[in-house]
Amino acid sequence: MAKLRRSRRPRTTLLILLLASITIITLDARGGFGRITSGVKSVAADSFAPIRSGVNDIVEPMGSFLAGSVHYGAVRQQNQKLQQQIRQLQQQRARSAQTEQSLQQLSAVLHLPYIGNLQTVPAEVIDYESSNFAATIGISVGRDDGVQYNMPVVASGGLVGRVVQANHHTATVRLISDGASLVDVLYGTPGAYAAVTGEGSGKPLSAGLVPINTPLSVGELFVTSGLNGAIFPPNIPVARVTGSKTGVSATEESVTLQPLADLTNLRYVSVVLWDPASP
Amino acid sequence: MTARDTARVTLVVFAFIVVQQTLMLDIRIGGVHPDIMVLLPMAAGLVGGPGRGATMGFGSGLVADCLLPTPFGLSAFIGTLIGFGVGLATVALDRSSWWLPTVAALVASVLYEVFYALLGSILGQPQMLHVGVTRTALLVAVCNAVLAVPAVRMVGWALPKVSKEGMPTSTVGSLR
Repeated sequence: MAKLRRSRRPRTTLLILLLASITIITLDARGGFGRITSGVKSVAADSFAPIRSGVNDIVEPMGSFLAGSVHYGAVRQQNQKLQQQIRQLQQQRARSAQTEQSLQQLSAVLHLPYIGNLQTVPAEVIDYESSNFAATIGISVGRDDGVQYNMPVVASGGLVGRVVQANHHTATVRLISDGASLVDVLYGTPGAYAAVTGEGSGKPLSAGLVPINTPLSVGELFVTSGLNGAIFPPNIPVARVTGSKTGVSATEESVTLQPLADLTNLRYVSVVLWDPASP
Repeated sequence: MTARDTARVTLVVFAFIVVQQTLMLDIRIGGVHPDIMVLLPMAAGLVGGPGRGATMGFGSGLVADCLLPTPFGLSAFIGTLIGFGVGLATVALDRSSWWLPTVAALVASVLYEVFYALLGSILGQPQMLHVGVTRTALLVAVCNAVLAVPAVRMVGWALPKVSKEGMPTSTVGSLR
């Protein structure tokens, strides 16, 4: 058996690297270093976007080819030609349906009734949830298109989220379903304030600051409040109530909501060029 | 490490990040996508020992952090611990065992994902604990267990043949 030589070097390496990591995390979270890390992330995202796009262009046809091959191999030889024709027709039909759906989404984001006179920038969703621990999407517009940090992002149903990272040509959007998302909202008549928070991807939203025994009906609409200095402009539909209950010793109503925008099937969105400082 | 070794390591890390950000993001199993970046510190720890594992974990983690919406430095921190841990835990084992990369990938992936969510929540991202950590950890672990052997071979190709940390050369060679 080989004789192993123990040394202190790995432990020193570990200590140095852990200290470096903790320093980076701390500076990123608390200090002005956050701007530097944000800049690094921005450069990385801009540099990586063409690589990602190029690789996807190569990989997608290969994936389709492999999927087709697996399906093809299971078919009897005498039916190959016929089945291939059926497959081609199905693919054409699927592509048409997909294209139609994309067109519908794109058309919808270009004609959002609740946006009013606010300027918007349409964008394609280029990646979806790059981390298992954050509900975010990547979109195809960035600072060069006028997109800035914290700008609201909407889709055909309503509010989608806000920009948390604006790169030159792309941006990252934190969805309202993300646990770190918080939206000031209005509900009911004449209008009471509440805060809608995310509970994670695919889960319903929840509303805080709703007093106990508030009469809420299923389907009741929550819209952005547009409070002075708020991130979101007023009257953007956010979600509808799916249920509410009052706990035994609760100080506020437990309300669950369904987002109005289909957050799991986003292809096109619009970034609202909204500056909270503007009236 | 020579310039050639550095180039090889850079190439392997680059290949992993490209695959992670393209192919792996398209694969969704129960809403979870594989996270192959965990394999880098695990494989480096297995092939090169604790020091190299920690260094690979830090470097590849920082690269991953550049493209993730989670706190910057978090992947580097966990990667450092995982790389060192795998190197240390397997130092007394026969690293030529066929099952070792798979088991190491399973355990390392579960620990990585759980610590990632825990530390993320401590660092002001409490939602990271509300995303089904157990399911995420298990799915990532299974995917990484499947990919462990090729990952160890790639990292073994990239790292220098003779370890300065007392790793027998035969060990490195046997994993290729």
